[in-house]
Amino acid sequence: MIEVQHVTKRYGPVTAVNDVSFRVDSGQILGFLGPNGAGKTTTMRILTGCIPATEGTAIVAGYDVFEQPVEAKRRTGYLPETPPLYTDMTVREYLTFAARINGIGSGARRERVAGAMARTSVEDVADRHCGKLSKGYRQRVGLAQAILHNPDVLILDEPTAGLDPKQIIETRELIKDLAGDHTIILSTHILPEVAQTCQSVIIINKGQVVAVDTPANLTERLGGAETIRLEVDPLGADPEPALAAVPGVTGVTVAETANGSCVLDVQSERGTDVRRELARTVVSSGWGLLELSPLRVSLEDVFLQLTTSEEPKEEDADPEPAPEPADTTDTTEDPT
Amino acid sequence: MSNILAIAHKELRQYFVSPMAYALIGLFAIIYGWFFIVSLNFVVRVSMQAGMGMGGPPTVNINEYMMRPLLGNTAVVMLLVLPMLTSRSYAEEKRSGTIELLLSSPLTELQIILGKFLGALALFTAMLGVTLVHVAVLFIYGEPELGPILSGYLGLWLMGASFISVGLLISSASRNQMVAGVVTFGVLLMFWVVSWMGDPSSGSTTASVLAYLSILDHFEDFSKGVIDTKHLAYYISFITFGLFLTVKSVDSERWRG
Repeated sequence: MIEVQHVTKRYGPVTAVNDVSFRVDSGQILGFLGPNGAGKTTTMRILTGCIPATEGTAIVAGYDVFEQPVEAKRRTGYLPETPPLYTDMTVREYLTFAARINGIGSGARRERVAGAMARTSVEDVADRHCGKLSKGYRQRVGLAQAILHNPDVLILDEPTAGLDPKQIIETRELIKDLAGDHTIILSTHILPEVAQTCQSVIIINKGQVVAVDTPANLTERLGGAETIRLEVDPLGADPEPALAAVPGVTGVTVAETANGSCVLDVQSERGTDVRRELARTVVSSGWGLLELSPLRVSLEDVFLQLTTSEEPKEEDADPEPAPEPADTTDTTEDPT
Repeated sequence: MSNILAIAHKELRQYFVSPMAYALIGLFAIIYGWFFIVSLNFVVRVSMQAGMGMGGPPTVNINEYMMRPLLGNTAVVMLLVLPMLTSRSYAEEKRSGTIELLLSSPLTELQIILGKFLGALALFTAMLGVTLVHVAVLFIYGEPELGPILSGYLGLWLMGASFISVGLLISSASRNQMVAGVVTFGVLLMFWVVSWMGDPSSGSTTASVLAYLSILDHFEDFSKGVIDTKHLAYYISFITFGLFLTVKSVDSERWRG
């Protein structure tokens, strides 16, 4: 549905997007992750035909964005980072204008506008001026504009930015809902959002794709050993040797000790569940078991690992390829 | 075509929901009205003198003595007012990011530009339309000749359209509407005074080229009641070239992101 091949965008000497290739199948939601300035917005603007790429091709809904821009744009809905609202129009007028320039005939216009307003729940502000809306409403009016002409492809640049938690949930639901008959690319900073809504993730850093996979696979791939966090009250004893002796445990580290209780991170071999054994050991030793929970490598950790590069090597002229995903869960280094 | 009209309609709406359109039309009407009264007084004085046999022409031609200088002055007012009309058209869209809506919609650049041009032209036509009230007064109380007035208005309209095409071009290259307005005014002023460099009758090539470029010189014949294809061609090619450059400017803006 969307096929991007070797797209590069240069602004003079600055390469904003460098040889990006990916594809999204029909009906899928693709999450676009990356730190600020990674090239997410640039890639999206290229896909929507706002700006041309320096090199490469992008095919959206079967049409080449550079060769047949009008056809491609007809099938694309775009919500830019700042919703493109005319502040002096009411929401209804604005959406009617958007419908008109998207080629929706005057007969169907009213109905489409009402439909889009209902889906994004902005009906209660239909006759307010766009300039007077709160950030959350602006965002949703922008979204209404993007889905108005029922495009095959939706490109959403941070659709949940500036929304309150309830609206975020509603918007996510809406996006998931739309996924059936639309192909969606969304960019975001909020990683759980990707884990919850997207079927696949692209992590982009300094204009280059550093990882493409499903959220589950990404966390899996970088997870390595499994870690269990354990909080015990050892009644003055040292719990470490006893826990290390549990079959399947490969390492125990004491994370902190406070008020007599002791927090430990227990590493185990992959695929072995040592929780029962650990609990039995603690209880049979007469200690108090206060907490036992698996520590999952979150998408945050993956993201930080992939997008944080070694500082001293930065000085080189050519863009550094992203560091190899390390096989540890250590993410204590500064993300900036 | 429907896309062009959609943009034009939107532009016109935006002019009228803001105080912009009313301010411009009002300002234009007041200044035109002032010039009208002043030249009317002058004509009345001259014809009274003529009637009392105190010199001056035996009959005062109202077209020659009143409408021609009046339309000439109006052209100067347009020079001041039209940059305000066009300055926001692109600059504002770029500043607020709404240009992305237009660029990601199934429109061509030419359609967007023609739409904006027609929108501004429609407002300008309304501005000119309001001044017809004064002309109607002339027809009620006097007997001016219709022909030269019509050709004069045609000339003004074409000149205004040329000003708008320059204004659009400059607005498309700027993100700040103040800057766009000031630069447009400067450029239009240059097109006006460019012929002051030399006298074309001196036979110098530079002087006659510069005189040909002058946007106001071409208006002269229109105000006399002459519709010369030379001047028509000048204005039409001026407008076309201005819009063509605007397309190029928007295109290059996209490349630069």
